[in-house]
Amino acid sequence: MTELRQELARADAMLDMKRYDQACGVLARLVATEPENARAWCLLARAHLGAGRHQQAVDAANRAVTLDPADEWPHRLASNALLHTDNYPEALRAGMEARRLAPGHWQAHICVAQAALGARRLDIATAAAQQARSLAPNEPDVHFLSGKVSLAAGDLDSARAHQERALALDPAHSGAMNELGRIRLRRHDTRGAVRHFIRAARISPSESVYSRNIDVVILRTVSRMIYTFTLAALLLIWIPVIAHLGRFPFVIGLTVLGAIAVGSFAWMVLRLPPEARLLVRRTLRGRRALAALMVAIGGVALAFVAVALVPAAELPQVLPIAVVATIGARLGAFAILRGAVPKR
Amino acid sequence: MEPDLTVLASLRKAVEAMPDDVPLRVHLASLLLQAGQRDEAIRHVGAVLQRDPGNAEALALLQAPADPASGTAGSGTAGSGTAGSGTAGTGTAGTGTGPAAQAAGAPPPNEDGGPPAGPKPGRAESPADFDWTQAESELSDVLPPMFVGSEETPADSASAPAESYDAERSTLKLADVAGMNQVKQRLEAAFLAPMRNPDLRKLYGKSLRGGLLLYGPPGCGKTFIARAVAGELGARFMAVSFADIIDMFVGQSERNIHELFEIARRNAPCVLFLDEVDAIGQKRSQLRNTPMRSAVNQLLLELDDVDGGNDGVFLLAATNHPWDVDSALRRPGRFDRTLLVLPPDNAAREAIFRYHLRDRPVAGVNLGRLAKLTDGYSGADIAHICETASERALLDSINRGEARMIGQPDLEGAVGEVRPSLGAWFDTARNVALFANEGGAYDDLADYLKKRRLI
Repeated sequence: MTELRQELARADAMLDMKRYDQACGVLARLVATEPENARAWCLLARAHLGAGRHQQAVDAANRAVTLDPADEWPHRLASNALLHTDNYPEALRAGMEARRLAPGHWQAHICVAQAALGARRLDIATAAAQQARSLAPNEPDVHFLSGKVSLAAGDLDSARAHQERALALDPAHSGAMNELGRIRLRRHDTRGAVRHFIRAARISPSESVYSRNIDVVILRTVSRMIYTFTLAALLLIWIPVIAHLGRFPFVIGLTVLGAIAVGSFAWMVLRLPPEARLLVRRTLRGRRALAALMVAIGGVALAFVAVALVPAAELPQVLPIAVVATIGARLGAFAILRGAVPKR
Repeated sequence: MEPDLTVLASLRKAVEAMPDDVPLRVHLASLLLQAGQRDEAIRHVGAVLQRDPGNAEALALLQAPADPASGTAGSGTAGSGTAGSGTAGTGTAGTGTGPAAQAAGAPPPNEDGGPPAGPKPGRAESPADFDWTQAESELSDVLPPMFVGSEETPADSASAPAESYDAERSTLKLADVAGMNQVKQRLEAAFLAPMRNPDLRKLYGKSLRGGLLLYGPPGCGKTFIARAVAGELGARFMAVSFADIIDMFVGQSERNIHELFEIARRNAPCVLFLDEVDAIGQKRSQLRNTPMRSAVNQLLLELDDVDGGNDGVFLLAATNHPWDVDSALRRPGRFDRTLLVLPPDNAAREAIFRYHLRDRPVAGVNLGRLAKLTDGYSGADIAHICETASERALLDSINRGEARMIGQPDLEGAVGEVRPSLGAWFDTARNVALFANEGGAYDDLADYLKKRRLI
C-alpha cells in the first residue's frame, strides 16, 4: 500500500513538472496492477490531457468515474478532456455533475463555465463564472475565465477588467495577456494586440498559441491590404468608361493606388514591435504569402492592362473581364492566405 | 588430381540452393582449393565461419598454402607466427592483434624490440596455435571493412552515464567528445580555465562561485559534456538524474536537497551535475499550487550557501528548457553562465554513428556520407537510425534466408525513414529567441536560428 502511495506521489510530482509522458509510463504500470484505483486513473487522465492525447484522457477519466462516481474530480477531468475533443454537450454534462457533487468548489464552477462557453450557452457560462468569482475572488483563473465569457458575450470593457484583474493577481498569467490581445483585436487595434501576444509569448514561449496568434494577425493584415488594393482597383477600372479622362490619369491612379497600399502596409509594420517586424518579414517571405500577393497583383495588373490598352469603343466588352479578373484575384489570394494560417 | 569442373558446377548450385549446409560448403571449398580457385574457396570458407566460427575443417582450409601444388587442404604450414597466438584463441577474428590483444594478456615484446617470445612458426597443431592474423588477412576479401573513409576517434570509449548520484571519478575528457569545438572552446574560456589556474584567478579576484547551465535540444550530449568537464577538472562526479529528483519529491524534498549538497561538499572537489534542472528549479510562478515551490527555495539556499561550504563544489546543470528555469536560479553566483549545446556537428555525428555501429555486423559503411545526410539530427536520432538500419538488414536476412551485413543502403534508407526529432524544440526556441531574449540571454541561440533560417 505504501509502495502504491509512493508511486502515485511520483506520478503526481512528474505531472507537476510537466513530464507527462514519463508520468504516463508510471501510471500505465500502476493501473495495470491496481485497476480499481480511481486516483491512478485520474492521474492518468491528467497525464494524457497534458500530453495532448485527449481521447485517451476521456477514456481514463470515464474509467475513474465508473470506479468512484461520487468524487467530483473524475467528472471534472472528463469534462476537460471532452472539451478538447469538441464534444461540448457531454463536457457540459460532466461539468454540471462535478458541480452537483461539489457545489462549494470553485474549480467545478469554472469547469461548467468553460464547457458552457464551448457549447455557446452564454447564460450558463455567465452564471457559473459569477459563482466561481464569489467563491474564489482572489483566484486569477476565475477572473481569466470570467473575462473569456464576457468577451464571448461581446462586453469588451468587462472582459478587459477581468483580464486585468487576473494579471494583477498573477502578473505571469500568459493566458490573460493573450486575452487582452484578443480584446484589442476586436477593437481593431492591431498594434496593441500584437504587443499583448508578444508579452504572452515572452512569458510562456513553449505555448505555441501565442506566436500563432501573432502569425494570424500578420496574415490578417496582409489579407486586408490585398482587400483594400483590389477594391480600389475595382473602382479605378471604371474611370476610363465613366469619366473619359484618357489613359494618363488612369495610369496615375494605378500608381497612386499601389503606392498607398504598400505605404500603408509599411507604416503599419513600422509601428509594430521589432519582434513582430521580424515575423512579418518571415511571413512575407513565406511561399503562401508571396503567392497570394502575386495572385492579387497579377490579377489587378491584368485588369488594368486590359482596360488601358483596348480602344475606347471596346471598353464595354473588356470591362466585365477586368472586373472578373480583379474579383478572381482577390478571392484567389484570400484562399491562399487562409491555407497559410498555422494549424493549432 | 584436379576435381571435375562439372562436379564443381553442381556443387555450386547445391550450395546456392542450401546456403546453410556447412559440410557441403566445406567440401566445395576444399575442391576449389584443389582446383586452384583460391579466392572463391576463401569466400566459401568465410561463409562457413560466419555460420560456424569454430569449424575445424574450415580453419584448416584457411591455413592451406596459396600454391595449390604444394599440398592438399589442411596439410600446409601456418603463416608466420605472431605474438598473441597463445591468447588469440579466446578472441574473435579481427581483434587478435594490436593493443587490445596485448591488454588481453599477450606477452610483451623483447627488450631489443624484436618479436616477443612465443611458439615458433610452424604447422598448426590445434585451434590454440591457429594463426589469426593470416586468417584475418585472408578473410578480408570475404568480410569487407566495417567503415570506409574515416578513422576511429577516442569518443568510442565513452561510458554510459551513471544512474545514481554516488560520487565517482570521471575518466572522460573533452578530447573524448568528438567535434563540437565551439562548445569546448566556450567551456574552456567560461569554466575550465579559471578553475585550472588558481593563481591567476586570485590575481584577478575571480570568484569560483556560480555554476554553468548547459542547455540545448534533447539528445545532443549535454550529460556527456558534463562528465567530460568533471574529467578535465579531475574531480568526482555526482549526477542527479530526473529519477533522483522525483525520488526527492516523494520524500521530504527540502531535506533531500540539503543532503545532496552535503554529500557533494564531503566529496569536494566534486562536480555536482543536476540533469533536467528545470524539473527541480521550475519557475515558481508555475508552481502556485504545488509543494515543489519550497523545494526551489531550498535549492536556492543551498546554491547560495551562506557558510561558504560550497568551495570545491562545481555546479553544472543541464536542461532542454532553460526558459522554464526560475530566474532566481540564474542570478549571479548561481547558474550565472550558460552554454548552448547544439545538435552534433559533422565530426560528432560521424563519431556517434561509429559508436552505435561498433557492435553490429556492418560492412562498407561510409560514415562521412552518413554524417552529411544527418545534419540537424540529434544523437538520439542517430541511435534510432542505426537501430532502424539493423531492423531492415535483419528482416531482409530473414526474407532471403541468408544472414547479411548491415550496409550503406540500409543506413541511408533508415535516414530517409527517421525524421529529426528536434522540430518541436526549435519551434519553442524560435519563440524564445524572438520574444524572450531579454538582455541577450539567448543570443547564441538566436544566431544559430538565423544561420539556419529558422527565424
